[in-house]
Amino acid sequence: MKVFFATDIHGSEVCWRKFLNAAAFYKVDMVVLGGDVTGKAMVPIVAHPGGRWQVTVRGQAYTLESEQELEEIKKQIRNAGSYPAMVSPDELQEMSKTEGAVDRRFTVEMTQSLDRWLDMADGKLRGGDIPCILNGGNDDIWEIDDIIEQSPCVSFGEGKMLDLDGFSLVSMGWTNPTPWDTFREAPEPELAAKIETVVSQIPDMERAIFNFHAPPYGTGLDEAPALDGNLRPMHGGAVMKPVGSTAVRDAILQHQPMLSVHGHIHESRAVKKMGRTLAINPGSVYGDGVLQGAVLDLNPKKGKVAKYLLVNG
Amino acid sequence: MATEAVGGETPTLFLRKATGLVRGWSVRDTIIYACLATNFVTLGIYEFTFAGPAFPKGQMITAVIISGIWVSFLVIAYAGLIVTIPRAGGDYVWQTRILGSGLGFVMAATGWWFILWLWAPIYGNILSVQLFEPLWATLGWTWPGGGAAWFGTNNGIFVVTLITIVLAGILVSLGMSSYARIQKWCFIGGMIGFAVVVVLLLFNSHASFVSSFNLEAHKLFGVNNAYHATNVAAAKAGYTTSGLGFGPLGASFLLVPAMMFFLLWPNWGATLYGEIRGASDFRRVFTGMFTGLWITVILTVIFLLLMAKTVGWGFYQNLNSLDYNLTPQFGIWPYPFMFAGWLVHNTAFQVILILVLSLWFFGWVGTLFLSSTRVIFAAAFDRVLPDRAAEVSEKRKVPLYSLILMLLPAVGLAAVYAYSATFRTYTLDATLVIAVTYLFSAIAVVILPWRKPELWRASPASRIKVFGVPIVPVSGVITIGLLGFCLYEWLSNSLYFVNSRDSLYFMGAMYVLAVILFIVARVVRRRQGIDLGMINKEIPVE
Repeated sequence: MKVFFATDIHGSEVCWRKFLNAAAFYKVDMVVLGGDVTGKAMVPIVAHPGGRWQVTVRGQAYTLESEQELEEIKKQIRNAGSYPAMVSPDELQEMSKTEGAVDRRFTVEMTQSLDRWLDMADGKLRGGDIPCILNGGNDDIWEIDDIIEQSPCVSFGEGKMLDLDGFSLVSMGWTNPTPWDTFREAPEPELAAKIETVVSQIPDMERAIFNFHAPPYGTGLDEAPALDGNLRPMHGGAVMKPVGSTAVRDAILQHQPMLSVHGHIHESRAVKKMGRTLAINPGSVYGDGVLQGAVLDLNPKKGKVAKYLLVNG
Repeated sequence: MATEAVGGETPTLFLRKATGLVRGWSVRDTIIYACLATNFVTLGIYEFTFAGPAFPKGQMITAVIISGIWVSFLVIAYAGLIVTIPRAGGDYVWQTRILGSGLGFVMAATGWWFILWLWAPIYGNILSVQLFEPLWATLGWTWPGGGAAWFGTNNGIFVVTLITIVLAGILVSLGMSSYARIQKWCFIGGMIGFAVVVVLLLFNSHASFVSSFNLEAHKLFGVNNAYHATNVAAAKAGYTTSGLGFGPLGASFLLVPAMMFFLLWPNWGATLYGEIRGASDFRRVFTGMFTGLWITVILTVIFLLLMAKTVGWGFYQNLNSLDYNLTPQFGIWPYPFMFAGWLVHNTAFQVILILVLSLWFFGWVGTLFLSSTRVIFAAAFDRVLPDRAAEVSEKRKVPLYSLILMLLPAVGLAAVYAYSATFRTYTLDATLVIAVTYLFSAIAVVILPWRKPELWRASPASRIKVFGVPIVPVSGVITIGLLGFCLYEWLSNSLYFVNSRDSLYFMGAMYVLAVILFIVARVVRRRQGIDLGMINKEIPVE
């Protein structure tokens, strides 16, 4: 069985479209997206009377004079992983001043965007003929869980064991604590307990796949720039340190699944053999509109990864 | 969820609290890295021994400034690449993504991996002539046989190169965290050492230098009236120098390819930028490399002016010409800072000055293999190299196999370099091969807007314009001009010692090796059912 795994597309619509096309492009049987589906930024587009809009994209201010220009800029914003938010000047002022208003708008934009994405998926994945598994990541709001659960063509993997043609896939979007205090974070002991809950459902570890958002600690899959107290990279950003999860590492070493796929640390694209387990973080460069991923060829008889290729699609 | 509004009273962007949203990094550290890479002490002064005598009509200061201006465009071109595709692996990643996997691999393997084997003995030789030789001479040590001069012998060069290779390997093994701290202190110490030299040369007269030089030369080397004797020896060898000035321009331009030996490397940290969050900040990336480059240019000009003022320009060039003709005045490389130290008649001071100035070497030596290991990693992740090449030992965090791929061939080449005086003259091969790699990155940045229009439009580099013209591709064209000019001169003018038959064979063999490696990788991977051609193929969007 061939699987395409990607992760951390963070709202990039171009990456989502590529993800949906990956099954046909790489001729795989199944696609898996490992979490952090939602974006981090929202760009207000201020509508003025008379069909004129103002927006600032990557520091450059634009005045848009036609619907066509508006659609083009929205596309650019979505492709970069941000949400275009249509607002009036008064709404923008209100949002800036009212506590919680930006959060609420963020949630609306994220959920609406995900709805639209899942509609796209229906057509591309032949109404569910091609298995597609989605998972939350630590940066994803809770509201996305129900939306994905209700999708007819996408399976929500969080906390479940999914049987895929003889392989058992278990997923978890939680990570060890980060300096940003995001949604799905837990201290290592709690994380270990969550892992055990999901891993205990696996009938045959030889054919198990761990899909854990957090990479295993100290394996090269989890190298991020060392930061100071003000979240500034130290030593010119050239100094990296492992920031993965010890609970994930211990679980892999203890249970030895055939494959363990991870994300979370975008810049730590790497592959590591941990005993019999092949651990992979394909990394993410969603901001460039490039979908990094891993094409994995699984051998069901031997219960191992026959071959893999990290791709920049 | 916590959010942050950007843009003041009328926000233009809202950011929610999410992993990876960090503030910009300190430009200071990037400046230090660029400044140490374009190391005017270890590389610049070392190169002047060759450049001055080879092109006596050329003007050093003019050449350094022209080079600085020209290389500034390379800095813009590289800053453009860095912010457009901010990835660890630098040239390898950019070229494989923009020009194609095969070409990218060959250029990166030759320029960031194979040729570094030759840099190892060059680094070793620099350690010999800037630390061991002056230290031994100052202390009057006679062990091993020949004392200071032993370090210039075949065995001496080989042993010191081995020390250098081990040292570079250890520094890489320590990891960037420890090395960055070492670099910072070395940079500060090295600058203090240079400041002492500046003070000595600024506040002492020419006459004072001549008498000090004669006194110390007699004390350490037993040479009488050494200043005059140096000038006489150079004249006898047929060398005539020009005074320090600014023209003629044509002859000074011929010095530019030689100046690339040290000024071409402000982007040496480029393979590391990929790991920096916020690298898509053109100004930061540019400022770091540009400032590092121009600190080097300014320090070089200060050094050259002080040599002219206190040491005497003609004398300095005569010293260099004697070394260039393999008849160094004292049997060792003429280290200008050792002579500056002679202005203080105190052995302890002279030794300390040499040691402090050697920090320029120790802060720099880690650069020998560090960037190369990143390129090897990137190629291994792309399955062009075996997976093991990217392995890092869990216990010690040492990239063992990539280090072996660097160290073992470097040891072999160190032996060839040490025991073949002819091979030693191919020093500029080390610059040429990297310049070819840079040339292809410059081509990549020029064609980027056409090859990857979406990527280009999304890049902050596309918005850096002068009179409406995007300056990054234009800088790429100017960089191609610089590198094309240098390559033409290196390959057509025998004064650079690059275009001899054996030198060309040596360089050609590296390209052949890289091509063979790539072909073998493709064949082996195809047999394994892995299509390397798929790595960079873009998935259709619609």
